[in-house]
Amino acid sequence: MTALLEARALRKSFGGVRAVEGISLAVPERAIFAVIGPNGAGKSTLMNLLSGTYQPDSGELLFAGRQLVGLPAHRRVRLGLARTFQKIRLFKQLTLLDNVLAGFHIHHRIPAWQYLLPAAAFWRDWTRCREEGMALLEFVGLADRAFERAGALAYGQQRMLEIARALATGPKLFMLDEPAAGLNSAEVGFLLQRLIDIRARGITVVVVEHNMDLVMNVADHVFVMDHGEYLFQGKPREVQDNPQVIEAYLGGEFVGGVAA
Amino acid sequence: MSVPVRAADGGAAPRAPVVARRGEGGPVSAVAAALRRPVRWPAYAGALVVIALLPIVLGTPYWRGILVVCAMNVLLAMSLNLVIGYTGQLSLGQSGFFAIGAYVTTVLLKSHGWNFWLAAAAAVLAAGVVGLLLAAFAARLRGHYLGIASLGFAVIVYQVLINWESVTKGVRGIYGIMPPPPVALPGLPEISFGNQAALFYLVAGLALLVYLVLDNLVRSPIGETLRAIREDEISAASLGVDSARWKAFSFGLSAAIAGMAGCFYPGFVGTLVPDAFNIVESFTMLAMVIVGGMGTMIGPVIGAVVLTFLPELLRGFGDLRLMVYGVALTLVVLFMPGGIVQAARALVARRAQGGPRA
Repeated sequence: MTALLEARALRKSFGGVRAVEGISLAVPERAIFAVIGPNGAGKSTLMNLLSGTYQPDSGELLFAGRQLVGLPAHRRVRLGLARTFQKIRLFKQLTLLDNVLAGFHIHHRIPAWQYLLPAAAFWRDWTRCREEGMALLEFVGLADRAFERAGALAYGQQRMLEIARALATGPKLFMLDEPAAGLNSAEVGFLLQRLIDIRARGITVVVVEHNMDLVMNVADHVFVMDHGEYLFQGKPREVQDNPQVIEAYLGGEFVGGVAA
Repeated sequence: MSVPVRAADGGAAPRAPVVARRGEGGPVSAVAAALRRPVRWPAYAGALVVIALLPIVLGTPYWRGILVVCAMNVLLAMSLNLVIGYTGQLSLGQSGFFAIGAYVTTVLLKSHGWNFWLAAAAAVLAAGVVGLLLAAFAARLRGHYLGIASLGFAVIVYQVLINWESVTKGVRGIYGIMPPPPVALPGLPEISFGNQAALFYLVAGLALLVYLVLDNLVRSPIGETLRAIREDEISAASLGVDSARWKAFSFGLSAAIAGMAGCFYPGFVGTLVPDAFNIVESFTMLAMVIVGGMGTMIGPVIGAVVLTFLPELLRGFGDLRLMVYGVALTLVVLFMPGGIVQAARALVARRAQGGPRA
């Protein structure tokens, strides 16, 4: 199994706070790779380093063998990286469909003059984007609300719309920052199924998550962080059984979760 | 109540609210609705007829002059709306680009003996390039900070016009500026732009062309990109959007259109003084965009028409005129925060809802 994304000794500090301290990881292709850790472990910072929202102070980041350090976020999207945000960032004033359509930004193939005078190639692109956009909304269960404002959606639906929008970029690697936060258990079940479907489409998934149900049920590989540092990694079962992890992070709450 | 398809962007031809069809059921009809192409050419044909009739209906030289000013204001309001309404960047420097268009045209024409059309093209280009330069700042500044910086730009342009006397003649101004030279099309009588109806047809025709281009642009993937930047830049970046580049596009195009309006101004008035490009003009343009409805195509056009004609219609109030104007402006912003377009849409929606029940 080859690594699609590889991080070597990534470091990032904010002032005196060492948010990420020498993290190395290898995300295998076509896997669901979960990153867990207690609050303040540096998971979101790691996510922002991978997606290009932040640049690391030092370390290397390779995507399919290509160096990512120094590349801004929007350039990484063209290589096939997509992400969602922990705090939902939709285009709230736009319709659901328009949110997804914005995700096709890097995929338009229209001669420049047809932006001024639409002709065949423009309308082909127009139709294709709308068909694919509706299919993505269908995929996340929101097709019948395509023409409503995104801001009018319930919280859990907003999370699913953000997933559809990110998928429109056609990623090879899809990174989700706490996608289950604020979802009820039915919504978590739906999300879980969608993550499995996304993997089945050949997309590699990195998921930063608190929700243990989700992680233990879908992750192929779990990576544990604490205080910005590497703690442990392995199969979900190995992580569950690791005393170090239980002590540092999961504690009684997790043991209870397993029992239940 | 839910909002119809792309309500914020409906242009000359409002589309049927798709939500009303939702009862028909699931995703299949939703896909069909999504794939329904907008048809807008009847609206353009209507606009052409209106433009053709206006100088005939308003036949006096005085009202024809107002019409020319109105067409220029429509260009200016549309140009500002591209940056503010669609890209979400607060720009108060539009009077600067208007000035560059006017002065570059006139100086090339009067001091360097250029042909008007060539000078006008150079002026549009010059304004566009300066717009690109301003965009370099815009990429680093946000919201109020960008507003102040762009206002600073307008002040700088104004000061340059006053102080660079060897070129601009300073506050004394440039006099005796001729209208655009006559055009002789084969087989037709010569068109003289000293005739204000002809000048109106020229500027209004260009405004309609600019409307068509911008309308196509904002409904294309480029429009989707600009709106994404307006709504949330970090999100846009996560979809591969290079905001700095697209802001430059927006500022550059907007500045070029404002410059285009500027080209025709000196020949119309006959004289050119810096006071015509006082920073207050930037706020007048902003008022047109807001009163009409920003982020819509037709809104700024309506705003420009209303704010051009309203002061004229209020002449009966004598000295109270500006006060009445100010109060009217305040009331509009207070009671129609989305501008005239949104207020009209809300009214139509309320009627449509109330109708069948009654």
